[in-house]
Amino acid sequence: MLTRITRIIRRDDDATVAAFMLAPAAVLFSLFFLWPFLRGLWISLTRWDGFSAPVFIGVANYAKLLGDRLFLGALENNLIFVVLILLLKNVLGLGLAILLDRAIFLRGPIRAAVFIPVTLSFAATGLLWSWIYNPVFGLLNAALDGLGLSALKLSWLGDADIALYSIIVVDVWKWLGFHAVIYLAGLQTIPDELYEAARIDGAGAVKRFRHITLPLMMPVVLINIILGLSGAFVRNFDIVQVLTQGGPNHATEVVMTYMVKTAFQDGNMGYASAMGYALFLIVALSCVLLLGLMRRSKVEM
Amino acid sequence: MEHHSSIRPARAQPPFSSHLFWKGLLAGRTVSELVLVYGLLAIVLVETLYPLLWVLSGSLKTKEEVIANVWGLPSGFAWQNYTEAWRVAGIGARILNSVVVTATALALLLLVATPAAYALSRLRFRGRNVILALVVAAMLIPPQVMAIPLFMTARDLGLVNSRIGIAIIHAASNLPLSIFILRSFFLSLPAELEDAARIDGASRLQILGKVMLPLIRPGLALVTIFGFIEIWNDFFLAFLLLRDPALQTIPLGLVAFFQQYGSMWNLYFAALAMTTLPVIIVFVLMQKQFIAGLTAGAVKS
Repeated sequence: MLTRITRIIRRDDDATVAAFMLAPAAVLFSLFFLWPFLRGLWISLTRWDGFSAPVFIGVANYAKLLGDRLFLGALENNLIFVVLILLLKNVLGLGLAILLDRAIFLRGPIRAAVFIPVTLSFAATGLLWSWIYNPVFGLLNAALDGLGLSALKLSWLGDADIALYSIIVVDVWKWLGFHAVIYLAGLQTIPDELYEAARIDGAGAVKRFRHITLPLMMPVVLINIILGLSGAFVRNFDIVQVLTQGGPNHATEVVMTYMVKTAFQDGNMGYASAMGYALFLIVALSCVLLLGLMRRSKVEM
Repeated sequence: MEHHSSIRPARAQPPFSSHLFWKGLLAGRTVSELVLVYGLLAIVLVETLYPLLWVLSGSLKTKEEVIANVWGLPSGFAWQNYTEAWRVAGIGARILNSVVVTATALALLLLVATPAAYALSRLRFRGRNVILALVVAAMLIPPQVMAIPLFMTARDLGLVNSRIGIAIIHAASNLPLSIFILRSFFLSLPAELEDAARIDGASRLQILGKVMLPLIRPGLALVTIFGFIEIWNDFFLAFLLLRDPALQTIPLGLVAFFQQYGSMWNLYFAALAMTTLPVIIVFVLMQKQFIAGLTAGAVKS
């Protein structure tokens, strides 16, 4: 037996070596990616509290989603999140990149400074901003007082009408530097001669932006949107959990926080799993839709 | 590295000279343009850095001063905030937990991903393209959507409330992207290198260890930095899997500390400063690698 194993190990043909080299990755991947993915699909078709025997109920969980006001509310919040975040991150990110692309004083340190929030955890960012928004000692209301704008003071996270937008501001604050750096890398591939030629032809700054910068930056815009898209859909659990835990009265509930509550507070694993896959389906469809739109707009240009 | 070629700066940076510098800074700019550019940059810098300085200054105020003097500098240095926050929030234990989880996960990730990436780039065997497609598909599935089945699988395997357990799952969820990044580094090495070593009688394993590894060190660094940021800052997985307060990592511990106690604002500031500043300092020292690591995910496509 032992000699057989050593003989196999000594064999040096590609297929044998590859099998050995891929085996650890295959084990990890199967156990913690492939298996949970398939198992979750099964769980989403059952009624299950996580302990007793699961009961198969077909697509009833998915059907229930369509009539669940809390889920639809969370989904709507998610969509507001996605649209506003994509818009703000890309417009502000590109704007900041254009500023940083100029021969400005201390460009390196400034670029590093705007990148700092990216390296902070969502937990730290969330806590920091929950204090900035704090009505007692918060920076924001104090700043409004200082500017003589006390009338604009608000309960930023306590008011159901604005809490969602307060959270969106935090997310944009954290990621702005990230998108700006990606845009900056893209801007630096545009040769100066193009701008020079346009200037000689008498094109102003706005025209140069519309006819040179924007078309040439479209692939980078696409990358930024795709990156932000799945992030805005699924990576908002941390920030919402830390800032509002979905409150007040579900005003900031997103699908991820609702899913975790359904699973671990209500003990409804099947229904919670169905939410996860429904969200995944929506993300995948949005990506495909977006790629299609992008491709068409590229043809037009 | 193939996927970085698209963002190589097209413009050569001129050697530094103070005369050229000022000329470049002012060339063709009107005063109003300069005011606009630097004014906007000042706003960006203030909104990015002031909240962080605010935490630092708040961490040195007394509990009363935090409320009485919201945005000014502290009147004295309340260093005892730090020792007390360290004790009350159990920061030492949290740091240890974060170090154990992150180090274990990264070691496992590199150990598993490197041979797999080598096999997928350098060896010829049947089914290679199927495995590659699986890796790419897995990169597009956000692991958060299968949080419920992942939790169940971890529970069945006894990995809940285990630092090693969460480390293994971190390694698994970072695996697809890491394999993808490392593979592109392996592909960028010339084939002659390996052929020469083969002729000299080296086995595949020797080639990987002695010839290839030293050459893909930048790739290993990239995977390490990318993984470090993900795992060190993680809140979601820790929230799901680390229920025992003694095992909490820094992000989870910070949020728990904040939600558990009353209004110990000065201690909160100190706890946040203590756990965040080291990361910011490391980032400032290694900003080039950090920015490359964090944008690697963006450039991968």
